[in-house]
This record gives sequence, C-alpha cells and structure tokens, in this order.
Amino acid sequence: MITAGIDAGSRAIKMVLFDTERRAIVDQALCDQGIHQEHKAQALYDTLLDKNNLKRADISASIATGYGRHLLRFCDTTFTEITCHAAGVAHWHRAAQSIIDIGGQDSKLIRLDGRSKVRDFVMNDRCAAGTGRFLEIVAQRLDIPLDQLGEVARQSTKPAQISSICVVFAETEIVGLLAAGETRENIVAGVQGSIVRRLTAMAAGDIAAPIIFTGGVALIPGMKEAFESVLCRPVEISTHPQFTGALGAALLASSSKTA
Amino acid sequence: MNIKPAQLTLSQWQERYAQLKAAGLQEPAYGGPLLRHANQGDKRLGCLKFDNSPAALHLWNFLLTEEDRLRQHRADGKLIIGTMKDLGTVPILVDSFDDMVAFYPDGAWWTPCLKQMHEGLFEIAAQHGLDESFCPVRAMVGAFVNGKHFPIPDALICSVGATCDDFSVAAQRVESLGHPIFWWEMPHRRTPSTTESSVALSCGFIAPQYQIDHLRRQLQQIQQFLEHKAGRALHPDKLRQMIRNVNHIRRIFRDIQQLCFTAPVAPMGSLELLIVEMLMIHFCSDMAQTEWILDALLSEIRTRINNAEGILPADAARIFWVNPVADLYAMNLLEECGGRLCGTEFLFAHALEPIADHDDPLTALAHMALSDPMAGSAFDRAELIARKIRQFGSEAVVISRIPGASHCASEGRIISRWIQDNLALPVIEIEVPTLSDSYRPSLQTRLEALIETVKTRRKP
Repeated sequence: MITAGIDAGSRAIKMVLFDTERRAIVDQALCDQGIHQEHKAQALYDTLLDKNNLKRADISASIATGYGRHLLRFCDTTFTEITCHAAGVAHWHRAAQSIIDIGGQDSKLIRLDGRSKVRDFVMNDRCAAGTGRFLEIVAQRLDIPLDQLGEVARQSTKPAQISSICVVFAETEIVGLLAAGETRENIVAGVQGSIVRRLTAMAAGDIAAPIIFTGGVALIPGMKEAFESVLCRPVEISTHPQFTGALGAALLASSSKTA
Repeated sequence: MNIKPAQLTLSQWQERYAQLKAAGLQEPAYGGPLLRHANQGDKRLGCLKFDNSPAALHLWNFLLTEEDRLRQHRADGKLIIGTMKDLGTVPILVDSFDDMVAFYPDGAWWTPCLKQMHEGLFEIAAQHGLDESFCPVRAMVGAFVNGKHFPIPDALICSVGATCDDFSVAAQRVESLGHPIFWWEMPHRRTPSTTESSVALSCGFIAPQYQIDHLRRQLQQIQQFLEHKAGRALHPDKLRQMIRNVNHIRRIFRDIQQLCFTAPVAPMGSLELLIVEMLMIHFCSDMAQTEWILDALLSEIRTRINNAEGILPADAARIFWVNPVADLYAMNLLEECGGRLCGTEFLFAHALEPIADHDDPLTALAHMALSDPMAGSAFDRAELIARKIRQFGSEAVVISRIPGASHCASEGRIISRWIQDNLALPVIEIEVPTLSDSYRPSLQTRLEALIETVKTRRKP
C-alpha cells in the first residue's frame, strides 16, 4: 500500500510517497511554491507518480499539510504541519522530546510526550521575525547566497545585536549597522542569534532533549550551531528536514488506512 | 415546526425567518429578520453563522437593538447611567432606581468589528491620542466623540485602580473631552496577612476584610452620587430586591453554561454562548427581557439535550477559552476547526456567580466586586480557570490575547504555565484582532493543531 503526503509550505511544496508494508519512503520531490498552489502541487504529484510508474488510483490515501493544505482539494484530508512534523520526526528519531521547526513563514517548537505524540506547541505570531523569510531578507540585503550564510557567520568575531521582535525594524537595524561599518560576518551571526533567541523565548526555556531540528531553515549552515550555542545542548538535524512534514502526512495517511 | 438544530448564515436565516413567521412566531418589539441589522451597517454579521432557534433570533435582535432601547428609555424620562469598567457591580445599584438604566459604553469595543471598520471609531480615537497600541476598547472614545453609536449617558461612573490600564486611559480621555466621570477605586485583591481578618469570596478567592470595608465605602459613595442624580434616597430593600432579581438571572445563566459545557453533544454554538455571557454584565439595558431570552435559550437547550441533538459532531474537542475575542468570527472558527466551547473566563466571572446573601446589600456587592478575576494576580486567575476546567472537563485551553490590552502582555504566559504544570493540558495563545480575516490561516492552523493534539491524546 502506497500513501502520499504533500506539504504545501510558504516557500516550497514537498511530497513523499510512502510504502506502508516496507515502512520505507518510495520517493520524494519538491518544487517552489507559487500563486496557483493546487495546480503546482498536482503537477508535482503526477510527475512523481509517473517517475515511479504509479497512477493516482495506486495511492491508498493522501494527506495535505502546510499553510496551503486547504487548497489541495485532490488530497483525501488535511492535518496541520504541527501534527505532521511530529509524526515525521518520530519515524526517524523515536526518542525525540522537542522539535524545532522553522519554515519560510513561521517557526514552532513542538513538545512530544513519551509516545511521540504532540504534548503541546508554540508558534511565532504574525511577524516574520524568527522565520526563514528573515534569513532570506538578510541574505538578499547582504548579497550572500543562502547556503553560504553559515560559512559567513562562522567568521564572525563579535555577533551584532539585532532586534528579535520585528523583521522590518531588524532590516532597518541592519542598514544602520552596515552604515556604521559593521562586518557582514557579524551581522549574519547576529541575525542567526536573533532567530534562536526568539524561538527559545517563545518556548519559555522549556525545550527538553533530545532536540530535533526540522524545516527548510535546518538546511541553512550555522543555524544548528546557533541553537546549540544558546541551548547548551546538542541539536540534531532531522533526516531530510525539508521533507519531515510531508513524510509525517504520508505516515498519517498510512495510519488512517490501517486503523 | 420541528427543525433540527443547526447553524445558519445570515442569508439562510432569511428563509428560516420566513418559515418561522409563517408558522406563527411571536416576537417582542425588537424582533425582525437578522438581515436588517447587516443592511443597517452591521456588516460582520454576513460572515457569521448563527444558531437556528427562535431563542437565538431573540438574543441577537435584543443585542443589536440596544441603541433603540436606550433612546426609548430616555424618551420615557429615564436617566442613562454609563457604568464603565467594573463589569457588573455598579449596574445593580443603578438598576435599583426606578428611573435609571445602566448602560455599558465599554461594549463599543465590538462596534468596529460589527461595522467591519467602516464607522471610523479607531481613526477618531487615534486623532485623540489613542492609537492601535491601545486595546480596541479605545473605540469607546470615538463613539463618545461622534455620538452616533449610543446616546451620550446622563452620567458616567468608572472604576480605577486594579483595572485595565488601557481602559483607564480611554475613560480619562472621555472625561477630558467634556464627559465628567464619577471615579471609584477598585483595590488590587491581596492575600490577607496572618494578623488580618479575612473573607472568602465567591470565585474561590480570599481577601482581607479591610478591602471589603473599603469597597463598601466606595459603593456607598456611588449610591450617594446616584441618589443625588435621582433626587431621592435608595431604600435598602430596593437594592436587596434587585440583588435577588440578578441572582435569579445568574442562576438561569449558570444552568445554561453547565448544560452546554457538559452535554455530550454541543447544544448551542460558541458565538451565542459568548453573547449570553456578555449580557450578564449589564443586561443590555433591559433586565426583564434578558430573563425572558435566557429562559427561552435554556428551554431550547434542554429540549436539544433531551433529544440528544446538537449543532456539532460528538467528537468535537472540548475547549476552554480565556478572554473575549475582538472579532466575533473567531468563535465560529473554533467550531469550523473541530472544537466546541467547554468553559470560559471572559474577564468577569464575578458577574456570573450568585451574589452572597448578606443583611447589608452594599457589603454583598462589595464581595462581588472584589471577586473580579482581573482585580487580583494572574495566578489567582489561573487557579480560577483550573477550577472551571475541572468542573467542565475541558481538554485544552485557548488563551486569546486582545491586541494592545496591557493585561494580555503578561498574564498569558503565567496562566499557560500554571495550566500545563498543574493540569497537563495543551494550551495555545492566539491574538485575535478586530477583523481577523487576513490572519485567518495562521489562527486556523493554531486551532486545528490544538484540536488534533486533543484528539491524538484521546487515543489509548
């Protein structure tokens, strides 16, 4: 039995096909998000099925997650990314107690109970501070490719102090810092620290280990180290962090069929 | 006409209304189709879903015609007394006078929501120094300035001290614009020292006798102020009778809450329950009609429970809700996401509990006033919430922040932590702006995730 999980995030659509009997991922794919979300998701879905010699009828169940989940009417049902990330992380990391998930437009801390189920969670408010979008804005402003942010931050000698409250104010601060002669390295390190501080403040310090880091921002070099530096404990990047939500959705689809 | 309980849009209510009228529905003077309110400017109603019972129709019509009622009271020679901030105590004193009616100007905080911001109250408030960094209750300032949303009261009474800072600023601004206010002091409720005599209050709080004595003096001054306005003294028996009347209404309300929050299937929607609870502050300027509507709602709820009928699926997650929402739509959204209301703490629990029987009616009111959950610490409030959660069997908690409200900045984390530590329930904090449409995906994700968490926890 094959199930599908589709994570319609703010920056990318991620998809996982999962073989329930083998308990293994059949294949996964992603594409950039766009205005016509359902059309893009369907195109990606059909491409992935074709590649694996499958038809839609071969898929036993499909679940959509992510902020655009309600737009994907071709899926059987929806779950929030909180539930799906918990399920996805539990597949790879049974002992996980806390999940840090930072995506394109929001950040979350998900606390798990002893059964890998969600105990509770906290999410950022309406501001993009503490999200991947913040890093994108900074990378653009400093003319640094996203995948080089970590390397640049590593060269920092004294991370700059950046507001963790508001992206708009923070961007203004960055302009001011550049004008004052601050180095790009210190600014990038300051921004990474700001994102980490925002999430840890949101969690009110209640982040039990083992801590698993998921979401697209987990792929940005330097973020894991920034969390470890503030939390003073190891943070593990999830296997395929960008696909954790889609995997969780596929796993939940699988459970819905076997229940 | 035997129709299953359901929630209807405004346009669906048109058809339902025609059916009810054809079947002989009798309505009070303020009756009529709900759509007329939207046509007269309450545009937000077009985004809401309403209970389909005649009792709910009466409730909404009663709520949305208060301005007409106030004008009629004035035409009848009654004095309109604006009772601000104390949320329930002073209206009892006011309504004890035959020729006075209590009005609650704070209620204007919902006007921008109902009018979908087309009435410009926030803009007027901003022109008078209260921008969006203040609680939506700043709309009250705009309503006093433009005089379009309620008749300007003949007198204003407002509490200060252990009350919302934003409200005090808004009320002070109203006074500075030429509307004199009779101020009275609400003390911050504190734990009695070992050498003080203490009193037990209705919401489970304990306070020093000294604070009751202080409040009694404050209430006596309010009474004297009202007697001066009325031109005659208030006999204590009139106040005692009013307390008995209020207690009767509160008991009906408590039956409604107890039945709705504990029924296997939700018999009434969250939105109507929110509105009913709000009526308990000041009875929407007509106590007799409030009682009539509550009786009708209670009867409807009992019938539905006896018939094992409701408006939501039986597996709806049982949610305790903290703080009223600036956008009424949020209550519908809770249900769309799979939740139902099973417990509330909307800032004025003291207006819901029967008033203690006491020989001296002013002392009884002092007890009520000091039971205000907002007059003590956030820990007090967290304990009150926990007691209610246990009473109603709530499975999760939503703490709804009011944008700009100063108390919301600090209380949420305290309440949240207390509930998680003592009851191990999932809690989310959300912020509901006056119009939440653009924020809906984010709100929906939080509520859906909370409800998914509840349903996952139910599994063995």
